Amino acid sequence: MIEDPKRKVTVEDLLRLKRAERPPQEFWERFESEIRAKQLAAIVIRRPWWDGASRIFAVALRNRVPFGAAAAFALTWAGVHYAGGPAAPARSAPGPVARAGASAAQVSSPVGQGREDAENAAPGTAAREAARSPGPVVAQIASHLAEAPPASKAQAAKGTQFAEGVAADLVDFRGTDPDLARRDVFGSDREFEASFASVHQPPAEPLASMDPSGERLERLLVPALPSDSSSGAALLGAYRIKQKASYDRMYESLDRYGAGGMSLEFRF
Amino acid sequence: MNASKAIGKTLVASPERKLEADADMAVVRQVQAGDVAAFDRLIVKYRERVLGIVYNMTSNREDAADLAQDAFIKAFQSIHRFQGQSSFFTWLYRIVVNSTLSHLRKNRLRSFFSLESIREDDPVSRELVDALTDRTGAGREAFVRELQEKLNDAMQKLSINHRTVVTLFEIDGLSHQEIAEVMDCSIGTVRSRLHYAKQLLQAELQPYLR
Repeated sequence: MIEDPKRKVTVEDLLRLKRAERPPQEFWERFESEIRAKQLAAIVIRRPWWDGASRIFAVALRNRVPFGAAAAFALTWAGVHYAGGPAAPARSAPGPVARAGASAAQVSSPVGQGREDAENAAPGTAAREAARSPGPVVAQIASHLAEAPPASKAQAAKGTQFAEGVAADLVDFRGTDPDLARRDVFGSDREFEASFASVHQPPAEPLASMDPSGERLERLLVPALPSDSSSGAALLGAYRIKQKASYDRMYESLDRYGAGGMSLEFRF
Repeated sequence: MNASKAIGKTLVASPERKLEADADMAVVRQVQAGDVAAFDRLIVKYRERVLGIVYNMTSNREDAADLAQDAFIKAFQSIHRFQGQSSFFTWLYRIVVNSTLSHLRKNRLRSFFSLESIREDDPVSRELVDALTDRTGAGREAFVRELQEKLNDAMQKLSINHRTVVTLFEIDGLSHQEIAEVMDCSIGTVRSRLHYAKQLLQAELQPYLR
């Protein structure tokens, strides 16, 4: 309180003046009626479900440092566990391979053998074989399918739709060219690369190690290969078929996404 | 309750504050037990102080009224979760300050001020105006209005956090410890903000200081 009118006036004194800024009495009457209405509305109207969610977010925001650290740790762990590390692909491989093995086993199992036996026994076996074998997995499955007896059609009918379709196509294809059907024609691009690498591992001829990417080069290479190296010609033939299948798939996927010129459109 | 008496109560020693907190807690228990009307006693007890905080932070009486009401409604809706770990007063102030800060951050670019008139029936303000000017009648009213606007401008030039600290300490009379609890920061931060804010205010209000 200011006792002497001539004394020094400070900032605190001036701010104290703001305490005297008070509304008149009628303001409080209106205030009371409004707050009563809001209170009644708060009792009657249910709070929306996101109100609780926003409260959770508010708590998370308040403790953002520990939450952020925990999230970073979880992401790092997930990244290392699922994507990184040299052993991760070897561990994660048996999953899809076992599924493919199961499909293959359903197709290739003999007629007399029950379906349950195939489902129970095949996945583990296929997975173990896949883990042991260094060669392309799908090539093994394809060759396994190629050796399936014709009677396996009946068993395949009980299997999945995918296995049924593969089996039907394979039987037709084997009828036209049994020699090629034994080879790994149906591998995906990745398996194709792996099988291609395995094909090129023992190069018998220097010309055979060349990459005949164009038709002209291919036409020139085939007569240049030694006539007694029938295995090299057969490998080249298999490779041509595989390459054509790969190109077909690529063009088909390009056509599906509608890529042409400078535009790109997606069709569903 | 008179506002100046209420402000004076915040400056007293802790035993009286503890008694007040116990009384509030008893009312809170009644509300939690289902006596909704008991909450009106808390509204009447704290409405002037709550409105004062919001008004001095926003410098807009309409916004202040809405925000004060919303803060009371929030407290009413959440009172079943109030466990009494802090006093009801601190808990309510935290709701009020957080709501007001959120409002100010949302409407950072909007600056529309509407001021209450200074009531000179308060002896402190009357003596202060006497000390600042020897004018009477219309000249005195104009001076008070000008001073009020200058004060308001100076407050609005502060950042939101600095303005909050000044409001709670200089106008509402809370201690550093209580402000730290309400604003969820350290006492050192409160002191630092207060010191900086006073320096700025001093520079802005230099013509009125002697």
